[in-house]
Amino acid sequence: MTEENVIEIHNLQKTYDKGKIKALNGIDLEIKKGEFISIMGPSGSGKSTLLNMIGALDRAEEGTIKVAGIDLMKTRDLSEFRSQEIGFVFQMHNLVPNLSVLENVEIPMYETRVKSEEMRRRALELLEAVGLKDKADKNPTKLSGGERQRVAIARALVNHPSIILADEPTGALDSKTGDVILNLLKSLHSKEQVTLVMVTHEPYVAEMADRILHVLDGKINNSS
Amino acid sequence: MIKNPFRNRTRATLAIIGIAIGIATIVALGMVTGGLQSSTQSTLKAGSAEITVTKIGSGNFGSSGGILDESLITDLKNTNGVKDTAGILRVNSNVSTPSGGSGFGSMGGFLVNGIDSSKLALVGIDSVNGTIFTNGSSNEIIIGKTVAQNLNKTVGSTIDIYGTEFEVTGIFESGNFIYDTGAFTSLSTLQNLTNNTGKVSYIQVKVNDNANASQVSKTIQDERPNDLSATTAVDQANRINQSLGMIDTASWAISLLAIVIGGVGVINTMIMSVFERTREIGVLKAVGWKDRRILGMILGESIILTLVAAVVGIILGIVAVEIIFKLFITSQSFEAVLTMDTLLKAFGVALLVGIVGGLYPAYRASRLAPTEALRYE
Repeated sequence: MTEENVIEIHNLQKTYDKGKIKALNGIDLEIKKGEFISIMGPSGSGKSTLLNMIGALDRAEEGTIKVAGIDLMKTRDLSEFRSQEIGFVFQMHNLVPNLSVLENVEIPMYETRVKSEEMRRRALELLEAVGLKDKADKNPTKLSGGERQRVAIARALVNHPSIILADEPTGALDSKTGDVILNLLKSLHSKEQVTLVMVTHEPYVAEMADRILHVLDGKINNSS
Repeated sequence: MIKNPFRNRTRATLAIIGIAIGIATIVALGMVTGGLQSSTQSTLKAGSAEITVTKIGSGNFGSSGGILDESLITDLKNTNGVKDTAGILRVNSNVSTPSGGSGFGSMGGFLVNGIDSSKLALVGIDSVNGTIFTNGSSNEIIIGKTVAQNLNKTVGSTIDIYGTEFEVTGIFESGNFIYDTGAFTSLSTLQNLTNNTGKVSYIQVKVNDNANASQVSKTIQDERPNDLSATTAVDQANRINQSLGMIDTASWAISLLAIVIGGVGVINTMIMSVFERTREIGVLKAVGWKDRRILGMILGESIILTLVAAVVGIILGIVAVEIIFKLFITSQSFEAVLTMDTLLKAFGVALLVGIVGGLYPAYRASRLAPTEALRYE
């Protein structure tokens, strides 16, 4: 792995349904540190599977995948990797309903050795960055869709990850709110110097990225 | 984690009620056994007689009225190994107690025992608050602590027994629940009053320091096989302990049942909870939570649920015992005692139910594949 590449993937293969469905069919991909990448493609093309592979939520059957210097094919327990290197933003915000906004942002820090005062300080700092510091003690169910997604972004960033993986982060939002979220992601990406990989099916969203990858039938078709 | 088990209020409440009933039964039985234990322990008191002699077929505790001839008192005293004997005439006072007086009273009356005042030590009364009665027809009486409380009598008060006024000269606490709920007066006075001249209900026998109570008991029995029945205090205690043992076994059986039924209930509650929170568990895994932490979280929730049930069950058990005692146990023969053992057992069973019931759901939650969990709708 070169110094600059934070993600290096070679011939990555993944099948479902006992090999009947080829979700990934030989992916080759290199992503530089600090890059903003959009992944596009029709549904079922394998773009979410690819994102899950990078985030170590799933394991590939063949090929190599190194993320932030860690060989994901050879590491047994990947929870620490996920906690330290990856921040997820899902289409659905996926917040825990009976915890406060602040507690939701603190969740990823439970697996770290961060003290509770520091956890609180860091979570508040990020809530301020996404403009929700005043709603820290609120229940997420009382928040609007856009606000919830901003909480999810704060949660993704709380452990200083090297990569943010966003799976259609604006998919459940109206276009105006979606724009706010995209701008927030983009500004945090440049401010925190974090690599951002985003799956989307909307071309205008994809165009905000430094580079667009088109995935089709489990392969990267072309990149622009 | 503390709030999680109560997200679905109805389900949590039902699970808690189920376990709480089991715990309440354990606590209630424990309290009854505890009460019986503390009262049997006090019947075996140093200094008092070891053998009770009654007429055959009259029972050990229940014998009352004049059924034995007084001459037996001296006869038995001459038996080998016997140190002292005391004849006791036991009758019911027929004094009605004020209704509503701390939950007892509907039965009416208490047991009045007639005994030679010099033999009180044989029935375990070695100290009296006040003075003891004098033998003869002085119409003096000493009453047990419980009677004093329930009839609101103090030293100097009078009690009407069989139409005769008796002066309370002392109040005693023997520790024996049968005696403490009764009174003692001069044997001859009571005999005359109740037309039982020359008769006693039973005889208490104290053996020599070096004699074997069981052996002496057997000797007495063998001398008058068709007439008398002799029981040692140890025998009586053993008999009570046997019944206590049965209650104890029943209590353990119920505990086991509570563990099984409660466990199934908890498994159901926690599996439903894990099922509903599949997506949430997926998120926790995505943000880096280890399987172990998720296992601990679900198991912890399960234990919190059962510990809440334990607290509810203990309160329920105490209240139930109080109510049952108020309604049905009319004589204040013994009190229910909540021992530390019972409390520990209740919490122990709850903890076990929590662990047993939570383990499988927790394991399932920890083994969820994050991508599957996140896809879950």
